[in-house]
Amino acid sequence: MEFEFDEDQRMLQRLVRETVAKSRALPEEQLWSTYLELGWLEAPPVELAIILEELGYAADPTPFLATATWFAPLAGRLPNGSGTAVFDGVGEFVLDADRADEIALLTADGVVVREGAEVRAERVAVFDPTIHVARVEQSELVAGVPELALMGLAISTVGSCRRILDLVVAHVKQRQQFGVAIGSFQAVKHKAADMYVAIERARALALYSALTIAEDAPERARAAAMAKAAAGECQRLCFQSGFQLFGAMGYTWENELQIHLKRAKAGDLLLGTAAVHRKALLV
Amino acid sequence: MRLAADPEIEEFRAEFAAFLDANLPTAEEAVPRAKSSADVPPWAREWQRKLFDAGWLVPGNPPEYGGRNASLPQLLAHAEELSRRRIYHSFNPQGVGIIAASILSFGTEEQKQRWAAPILRADITAALGMSEPGAGSDLAGLRTRAALEGDHFVVNGQKVWTSGAHDADVLLTFVRTDPTAPKHKGISVLLIPTDTEGVVRRPFGSIAHPDDFDFNEVFFTDVRVPKENLIGPLNEGWKVANGSLGHERTLLWLSYAERLEDLIRDAACDEEWYATLLMDFQALKLLGYRQLGADRNPAEVSVLKLFGSEAVQNATLRALEAHGTESLLHPASTAAHFHMNMEVFSSSWFERYARSFGGTIAGGTSEIQRNIIAERILGLPR
Ligand SMILES: Cc1cc2nc3c(=O)[nH]c(=O)nc-3n(C[C@H](O)[C@H](O)[C@H](O)COP(=O)(O)OP(=O)(O)OC[C@H]3O[C@@H](n4cnc5c(N)ncnc54)[C@H](O)[C@@H]3O)c2cc1C
Repeated sequence: MEFEFDEDQRMLQRLVRETVAKSRALPEEQLWSTYLELGWLEAPPVELAIILEELGYAADPTPFLATATWFAPLAGRLPNGSGTAVFDGVGEFVLDADRADEIALLTADGVVVREGAEVRAERVAVFDPTIHVARVEQSELVAGVPELALMGLAISTVGSCRRILDLVVAHVKQRQQFGVAIGSFQAVKHKAADMYVAIERARALALYSALTIAEDAPERARAAAMAKAAAGECQRLCFQSGFQLFGAMGYTWENELQIHLKRAKAGDLLLGTAAVHRKALLV
Repeated sequence: MRLAADPEIEEFRAEFAAFLDANLPTAEEAVPRAKSSADVPPWAREWQRKLFDAGWLVPGNPPEYGGRNASLPQLLAHAEELSRRRIYHSFNPQGVGIIAASILSFGTEEQKQRWAAPILRADITAALGMSEPGAGSDLAGLRTRAALEGDHFVVNGQKVWTSGAHDADVLLTFVRTDPTAPKHKGISVLLIPTDTEGVVRRPFGSIAHPDDFDFNEVFFTDVRVPKENLIGPLNEGWKVANGSLGHERTLLWLSYAERLEDLIRDAACDEEWYATLLMDFQALKLLGYRQLGADRNPAEVSVLKLFGSEAVQNATLRALEAHGTESLLHPASTAAHFHMNMEVFSSSWFERYARSFGGTIAGGTSEIQRNIIAERILGLPR
């Protein structure tokens, strides 16, 4: 096997990074149309992972994740506009269901696609104000989460964790106490190093999951469970150490750290926490 | 990125597997077992030589040094095949993996032929003399002194923890040749035959047993070492040290992948912690594959070393706890009999757990690896 990005994938990664950095301040609709123009929704799994990691890094406000990794694998096509899917068997905490143009529903009779406006979906208030989650009222739902959705949340969460670590590293290099940068204290360094290792582990497993989906490998279900579990474990450490190392600054609304902490935690809580997916590995 | 096996690698793998099937010593042949990391019984020497001659010992080396100029991914396939069968290519792992490798990187042509080739052919065995009583994590603080007098260095001082030294023929010894220079700049590296007058080796027991001899104290008193035994330029031993440590950390993470694979088989269960073991093994292998990329930061090996050694330690602790009071039993066997395996890897859970600390301490402790990651990857101030 080969576990390095090829030249095209590296180029894509550069392009995504540049695009995301440039368009940070753009309104949501413009971001969305940029993504569409660049054809990102059509990206195959590994390329999609590359895109989603950077969108996670940027705490992307659009319904890209739900459209590409919830709707598309269930419906077997891209939606007109944005999309999402209900595949948890109950219709709770459905990403972007309150604003999706099309919603795919996994029912006892198979997949049914409906116009978003026709589906009763009520946005629920959550601690992370930047994500949309909604309760969908529908009967005869069954559960069957696609691997792409697990991988998508996993790699987005890895992106959030990378952002947390970058913010922490910048902060501890610049913040002085006792006459030195706090980043020179070993207790600080070791927390940062552990975050780095956890991110590397989770990132490797998320990319591996994308690769098994791309090649329709027999281990794709296990790989997706590993990816989601590792991302959950990674955000647990990055949330805890990232918040702690910012001191009181991290406790404020103004500091952008909060956005990424919340995104990372939401990434674990949606579609089953690390503990849930660890159990799946044991059967 | 590609999941499918590369046909070139699979061909290589199949050829090696066929070689192993045809040449592996039988259980009757493979006695006695090795007692230290430089104790290579006659059958094991023969085995290593066979691998050397066929180019299967260190496949990345050229044929004259026991290889076949194999690519890095092929090397991983080689390691995987050995690990899957619980067998070793050498019972003097530091000799082959660190000392011969360092000589091939830094030695002259003559030194390669005189020392590296015999170590690789198991004609002689080697041990690594870096640490001292006053120089553990702070390796550059080493004080064993070597003064150039005519065409000899005269060595005085002491090493400790020198694994297998009592069974080794030669020591790759890090010495101070310029006591006035800053500490990283006055170090040189000498190959010192252990039968040289003035070399005294004293093996001592490990945590597992008072007679489990691998650790040594090595004392040097007016030991005369020919000038031509200097490996690399005078006073540039720190470069060699970093090269050796790089080789060591690579050897080590591969061995942690091996230990994790052992644990997956030996501790199989449906308890919650076992999922971590499965994930850690998969992730370590993926990160190892990725490290093969040409543009990797060398400090990334520290990620593999730290992550791998701690994963082994965590999983071994969980296995120990999972077996409850039964884990107190020692000696005990926790795996089927594998005649080409080191006995310590199938010993009691308690011993296996205790030995996992070798991973987090030797080759630069976990704390030192964290320092390296924080400073050389994340760029935090020293
Ligand atoms: C099984 C085994 C085999 C070995 N084989 C060999 C061999 O063949 N040849 C050889 O030369 N050596 C060998 N060693 C020695 C090994 O390299 C040293 O043990 C290691 O470098 C640590 O040194 P130390 O034991 O003196 O611990 P110390 O350096 O005294 O460290 C003790 C504790 O302090 C911590 N510490 C020290 N400095 C720092 C710092 N800057 N920041 C944070 N924490 C710090 C350490 O992490 C550790 O937890 C072996 C060791 C073991 C366990």
